[in-house]
Amino acid sequence: MQPALELRNLRKTFGATVAVEGMDLVVPRGALYGVIGPNGAGKTTCIRMIMSILFPDSGELSVLGRRSALEAKDRIGYLPEERGVYRKMKVGAFLIYMAELKGLAAEDAAARVPRLLQEIGLPGIEGKRCEDLSKGMLQRVQFLAAVIHQPDLLILDEPFSGQDPVSVRVLREHILGEHRRGATVLLSTHVMAHAEEMCQHVVMIHQGRKVLDEAMAGLRRQFDPRIIYFEPLDENATASSLDETATASSLDAHATASGLAANATASSLSAVIGVERVESLDGSYRITLIPGTDPAGMMPRLAAAVAPARIELARLRLEDVFVRIVTEGSRSQAASEALRASVTAGAEGVLA
Amino acid sequence: MKQSLRRIGLVARREFMAAVMNKGFVIGLLLMPAIIGLLIAVFPLVSSRNVPAVRGEVAVVDPTGQVAGALRTALTAEAITARRRDSAMRALQNTPAVVRDAATSPTAIARTVGAAPALTILERTASADLQREKQWLTERVAAGGLRHLALIVVQPNAVIASAPAEYGSYELFIPENIDDRLETELYDAIRESLVAARIRAHNLNRNEVEAVMSVRRAASVTVAAGAERQTNVAFNRMLPFVFAGLLVFGVTIGGQTLLTQTVEEKSNRVIEVLLSAVSPIELMAGKILGQMAVSMLVLAIYIGLGLVTLMSFAMLGLLDPLLIVYLIVFFLISYLLFAAVFSAVGAAVNEMREAQSLMTPVMLLLMAPWMFATVIGREPNSAFSVALSFIPPVNTFAMMIRLGSATPPPIWQVLVTMVVGLAAACAVTWFAAKVFKVGLLMHGKAPDMATLMRWAREA
Repeated sequence: MQPALELRNLRKTFGATVAVEGMDLVVPRGALYGVIGPNGAGKTTCIRMIMSILFPDSGELSVLGRRSALEAKDRIGYLPEERGVYRKMKVGAFLIYMAELKGLAAEDAAARVPRLLQEIGLPGIEGKRCEDLSKGMLQRVQFLAAVIHQPDLLILDEPFSGQDPVSVRVLREHILGEHRRGATVLLSTHVMAHAEEMCQHVVMIHQGRKVLDEAMAGLRRQFDPRIIYFEPLDENATASSLDETATASSLDAHATASGLAANATASSLSAVIGVERVESLDGSYRITLIPGTDPAGMMPRLAAAVAPARIELARLRLEDVFVRIVTEGSRSQAASEALRASVTAGAEGVLA
Repeated sequence: MKQSLRRIGLVARREFMAAVMNKGFVIGLLLMPAIIGLLIAVFPLVSSRNVPAVRGEVAVVDPTGQVAGALRTALTAEAITARRRDSAMRALQNTPAVVRDAATSPTAIARTVGAAPALTILERTASADLQREKQWLTERVAAGGLRHLALIVVQPNAVIASAPAEYGSYELFIPENIDDRLETELYDAIRESLVAARIRAHNLNRNEVEAVMSVRRAASVTVAAGAERQTNVAFNRMLPFVFAGLLVFGVTIGGQTLLTQTVEEKSNRVIEVLLSAVSPIELMAGKILGQMAVSMLVLAIYIGLGLVTLMSFAMLGLLDPLLIVYLIVFFLISYLLFAAVFSAVGAAVNEMREAQSLMTPVMLLLMAPWMFATVIGREPNSAFSVALSFIPPVNTFAMMIRLGSATPPPIWQVLVTMVVGLAAACAVTWFAAKVFKVGLLMHGKAPDMATLMRWAREA
């Protein structure tokens, strides 16, 4: 079967700016792909080219086996980054209008609207004007407008941007629902954690170029971590944060005591063979192992040194991968920190 | 193709409904005809020369003894009605047959003549005390009693001249708050009575005298090559402007809404959602068609009201139905041209404020016909008028004024105007579509004319 999406050597410039360069991508049918990268990486330009809203300067693409999305519009659901509604229009009328534009008969669309609104947690709002809805509600309505015609390919550009945690969760469930139904899903996000949680496969774009194209499962193996997170059982040992905050004289003794305890824990952990470095985090420790050390064998040894409340292997996060990839060659600490900040902003939503 | 047409239809339907199902639109639409209708309905009532049906007493002091009797006859309801009818007929003398026929139908006459006043004539003796009679005018009348309306004092030499050709007249005294139209009514009756008395006194034949005095004013006949027809001056003067006005109005109302709706869609960010379902060209076509339907609806309502008005004045026959066909054809051509421009401007800018600078030249073009309207209207076949009717975008307006004039242009000129107009509309639409396509997703700095040109080249 032909892939749902195929991009070959796409290039797009805006004046002197190269927005996308040498973009190759194959998304098989039924897959859930995440396109990630910081703001301005070229994600939206790529998606707009896939949607035939913009046209590439060079390169080829096929969408659902057609040469252009224009020929398969009715089978594609699209939630653009820049999304709006007709403010004066009623929710039901808006959804029916969008469904009709996608080739659905008016009666079928009208029959689906109440059920879809119910499922997405907005029952009975068909008669409300769009301008009367909150931002979160509107985003859900917009999502429904993209999926009401049950598309074969669902393209979501930053679906979670500006959403509160509840909406993020609702939306995530519905996106996964569309995927289970059989739709191929391609979503873009600048928040790596979203992609990490949902996607089977991620594509990283940086400065208009693809820098990574991997299955999530493979990613974890490929970047085998050497990091163990350790939280000691002894409460005093975790009070290292008081070092900075306690200044009142009455607290001095306690502060000194707990500071000593923390130092003792850190040095006990450092003393274990195979440990390269121990960093104190807020309430726990991040232990870096010497390359080649077996983490499974290290865990009992660390537990023997200091009684643990929690001990786990650090899961490699996408942002680490991303930062590692794009800062290869240029070892600028400031640049990588800035980059890290740009891809973690907004991640709170996913943790809720 | 079928899908494409379906989507265009859907967009057009939404545009139409969004425009029509809007309180502002309904109010705006109804306000103008309502005001015009009110003027048409109220103005004749207010300005009517017919005295409302008053009841009351008129005292007459007649020293000649030859006037009061005749006056009594002249002020009966039947006589008043007859005089009103005559004067109405005289006024209609120069109007075309259709109008005269309609206006002299029994119902039309009854409406024109109205209800005659019921006047009771009280003859006073020639030696009556003038002061006391004047006081009679100011006396309060008991409820239900007859009002004291007027005191007529015929001068002694009113019938027989005191010196050669030195005739007296009459004096008229009225109380406060008397309709001045009653005075006219009384004057007509006194004049009638006095003239009759004088003619009698001179032993003349009244019919002969009237025949000698009467010269009918001729209605002019417009002579054109191979055809002659009655001239209707006022109607002819107004018609071209009414049609040109309807044309400008129709284009403006559709174009303006198109502009605001497109700007709104763009600033609402609804445009990209739409573009996932329809192509920019489908979107533009749908929007233009939808607003065209709105404009057509408005025009239909206004033309309908106009026709009803003409019909109620029985002047429908004056209007060449072909003019309405031309109006619609020229509306479609000029609408297409301007609508394309309006939608392109709407797509190019981010908000209405930015549209202003781009709209100024467009509005000037739209207003240009008004600057030339009088010139064209006065000399519809001058070289200037003919030239203007071939230069888009004013050609359609110029041609409409000429078509509505008393000397319409030859048909080949009308066809040239259509072809030139259509070609211009297509060219502008082609350019506008390119700007529309590029502009829709452009945010940021408002584009100037050079930028728009570049977009059109790039698209």
